[in-house]
Amino acid sequence: MLGLNFRSRSARMLSMFACAAVPTLGAMTVHAQEMIRFGAPLPLTGALAPEALKQQQGYNLWAEQVNKAGGIKVGSKKMKVEIVYTDYQSNTPRAVQTAEKLITQEKVHFLFSPFGSGAAKAASTVSEKYGVPTIASTASSAQVYDQGYKFLFGTFTPNDTLTTPLVEIVKQKAPGVRRVAILARNDLFPLAIAQEMEKAAKQQGLEVVFFEKYAINTMDHSSALSQMKAQSPHWIFATGYINDLVLIKKQMGDQKMEAPVVTMIAGPAYQEFITATGKSSENISSASWWHMAARYKGQDIFGSTENYTKLFREKYKVDPDYAQASASVSGALFQMAIEKAGSIDRNKVRDELARMNVQTFWGPVKFGPNGQITSLVPPVFQIQNGKTVVVHPAAIKQGEFKLGVN
Amino acid sequence: MLIFQILLNAIVLGSLYACIAAGFSLVWGVLNVINLMHGSFIVLGSYLAWGAYNALGLAPWTSLLIAAPVFFCLGYAIQRGILNRVIAAPVLVTLTLTFGLDLMLNNAMLVAFKADYRQLVLDPSLGSLSVGSLVVPIDRIVATVFSLLLTLALFLVLRRSRVGRAIVAVRMDRDASRLMGVDVPSIYATAFGLGAAMAGCAGVLLAMIFPISPIASGSYLGKAFVVCVLGGLGSVPGAVVGGLFLGIVESFGSLAFGPEHAITLSFGLLIVFLIVRPQGLLGKQGFE
Repeated sequence: MLGLNFRSRSARMLSMFACAAVPTLGAMTVHAQEMIRFGAPLPLTGALAPEALKQQQGYNLWAEQVNKAGGIKVGSKKMKVEIVYTDYQSNTPRAVQTAEKLITQEKVHFLFSPFGSGAAKAASTVSEKYGVPTIASTASSAQVYDQGYKFLFGTFTPNDTLTTPLVEIVKQKAPGVRRVAILARNDLFPLAIAQEMEKAAKQQGLEVVFFEKYAINTMDHSSALSQMKAQSPHWIFATGYINDLVLIKKQMGDQKMEAPVVTMIAGPAYQEFITATGKSSENISSASWWHMAARYKGQDIFGSTENYTKLFREKYKVDPDYAQASASVSGALFQMAIEKAGSIDRNKVRDELARMNVQTFWGPVKFGPNGQITSLVPPVFQIQNGKTVVVHPAAIKQGEFKLGVN
Repeated sequence: MLIFQILLNAIVLGSLYACIAAGFSLVWGVLNVINLMHGSFIVLGSYLAWGAYNALGLAPWTSLLIAAPVFFCLGYAIQRGILNRVIAAPVLVTLTLTFGLDLMLNNAMLVAFKADYRQLVLDPSLGSLSVGSLVVPIDRIVATVFSLLLTLALFLVLRRSRVGRAIVAVRMDRDASRLMGVDVPSIYATAFGLGAAMAGCAGVLLAMIFPISPIASGSYLGKAFVVCVLGGLGSVPGAVVGGLFLGIVESFGSLAFGPEHAITLSFGLLIVFLIVRPQGLLGKQGFE
């Protein structure tokens, strides 16, 4: 009995010592390594996992390049970076919890937003509360930035910058296209972009003959597509994420749906979409915030679009798309702001981000008063011969817009 | 004409739902086990079809010959080795156990195949069949025919074979069956194996139609739940009727209320049936 008591008392003493020592040791390690910690809540599992993995690739490439160069220059010293990931399992309320955990428990200095407009908006409340500068690398909807927050910045221009050029190109290239059908995923970004499309189409005198939403996790679109087909649209515009759009394209083919113009946002920018849909993806148009065909020279760590693409290919053996590039540029923007501020003081870094006006491999970066980027011209592209071909803007155009999707 | 097209879509979709749910219904009805691994078995079957097509050039309908025995053995082993140990425990215990096993299986698939969506693209494509302005994709017809054949085969096994009669007997009265000399643990394992084989085969057929990803398992499981409640537990014809009913409700619901309400409608129906007719359309009352 005595022995047992002794053992349990010893164990208790030992565990108390361990509890006291571990944080101290941890702090010493962090201090010795002079790390800047960035929090990244991501949906690493669940329905949004493919998108999360892209963001993770982008962040990791940036962190690797920074650390290879010795770290970020903060005043007279260099500090390496560490990205702390948490998985919120594609569950937005959990994204908010994990963002808070990253700030309060993991003690990150800065934050990257969770994926998409909905989760970014939800989590922005937390980062604003703690005054943590946050860059949203995948949030474009105006509702994310209209909250009057000071610490939130975003690398995507508003949704109408994607749809307006599209409508203008189609009006110019295909004057016979008049009837537009829109099918949108009932989710913040896909629905917002569909609504922008509806607005832009009506402004240009096109007739929106079909506008329907489908629920998240919809397994079958045949009924909606039959209704759409009955309207004989000239332009089919579908929004959603890769799985939705692969399924919609497959079922459009099943129902022998053809149209002069088919636009899908946001799947065709990804190679996985082209692989999964095969030849049926030919001439599908889309728009995104970046394309590797761009030729920007930058002051950031990557230097130019060509160099970024080269580094990305070397590391991952695939071409980068806008989601990965946006994640990388978000890190690069933090880096430039910290270096300019000469400090990791959150308020100073926030102020540098707010007054930032720089060239990067992503394009020119200047944030508006609400924190959303205002300086970028998003490219419009089309899948031609199994590859994405930029058709707008003229400065980076690779080919002409083609009609006919079946 | 739109109405006929939607009816056609609904029948095809309903047959696929029947195939998704038949094995789930069998296991729930006979073993009183709510097998939460069912959706993951379906996805695993889809990966099998995808791998067999891309690596060996085997058409999905040929892959059924591989999937059926492989998944039967997998299901038999899981029931015999794990679930039989707690089969007499309250349903919550087996539910939790299959939930845990599903987490492991699903995460193993995430590690093995990643969360990327894949699509089994048949080359050349089977195309679509047109009758006037009505169009039906041939891959869906193939999947529907094989789904109905598989469901019919399951029905005949339960009706005509000795093992099938034993399964039905165990379902009706476990203790009486044991007294009549039925090896109950073995019958349980056989029923679970059959359920897994049905799920695997459904996955093989669905690979031609839906994108493949481990995260699709939840959607399949949800459909199986609804179909079982609508059709009646443990009843193979009930799965067919429930599947068709759900297909029709979703398709016409989409026409009447918009596609975004189709899923809400199916789960609303589930609640109504649980309250008003818990035994389902073809199920018998009294199973506890």
